[in-house]
Amino acid sequence: MRKKITYEYSSAGLRKNILMNAKSLRLPEAWAKQIADRVVKNIDKWIADKELITEDDLRKQIVKELKVLEPNLAFAYRNHDKII
Amino acid sequence: MSDIVCVATILLAGLAQASLQLGLGGLILLYHNSLGRHRRRRTSYLARNYILGTGAITFLVVAAFCFLIGNFFNGALTTEWLVIALGALGACAIVMWLLYYRRGKGSTELWLPKSITRFIRKKARQTNDGVEAFSLGLLSSFAEMPISIALFFVVANAILNLSSAWQVLGVVAYTLISIIPMVILQFRIQAGRTAVEAQQWRLKNKAFLKIISGSSFLTLALFVAAFWIMK
Repeated sequence: MRKKITYEYSSAGLRKNILMNAKSLRLPEAWAKQIADRVVKNIDKWIADKELITEDDLRKQIVKELKVLEPNLAFAYRNHDKII
Repeated sequence: MSDIVCVATILLAGLAQASLQLGLGGLILLYHNSLGRHRRRRTSYLARNYILGTGAITFLVVAAFCFLIGNFFNGALTTEWLVIALGALGACAIVMWLLYYRRGKGSTELWLPKSITRFIRKKARQTNDGVEAFSLGLLSSFAEMPISIALFFVVANAILNLSSAWQVLGVVAYTLISIIPMVILQFRIQAGRTAVEAQQWRLKNKAFLKIISGSSFLTLALFVAAFWIMK
């Protein structure tokens, strides 16, 4: 059986990741920061009452949040591991 | 085979090789990850090295196949070996149509073992200097060898039929044709497009790309077979 790997959720890591994706999409820096702050805030709220979540669920939630603000960013986030 | 038939074979084989998607996918990954971390100039440099890597391995492998055919088959594939190579091309066409992409909507994942794609993805994320980008290009081109090996046999056979002065040019032409999609992608991204737009295009045209790839393999097989029979 495959060993389960767990790691702690990090708001700062998520923010950095969103900013990196936004930069590669050439979004204006101020708008990228605004998106990252808003998404991180909502994800923090969503995650607060959960003890354990899967990476997939977290990703889906992030994509859901991003889709409202910047669909291309949501696409990048969702499809990152589906390119090859 | 006349020179024109050999040149046409090289062109067709180059186009078939160009239609393979791993090199392009790897470059999109590299672009996306690198643009998020580096300046545009640095990213372009990495992409250039990646393309150079794919070109270098293609050139070397085709040259190695030429050497192999030149030494072990006296300069031209025997009928049996050519039939095997053409059969493999036909099989590749079917593979391209049916198995090249993994099933699933919204994804352009390829047939490769997950461990290899995971490794390429990881390396694309971590690539920071030219040498790493170059070796990533080598690796992604090498990983697709099971599909392109039949192409290499056929193209090396055609190249060896050219006069010796044109043989190196033949290998260079094949290599250049095979990297055209990556060069176009680089120009498009330098002109202001993003890697995400390129991926969206790939996703939208996945069925078309599948048909083009499979058809180019089959066309090449039929073309070479037809001229072999006519000879």
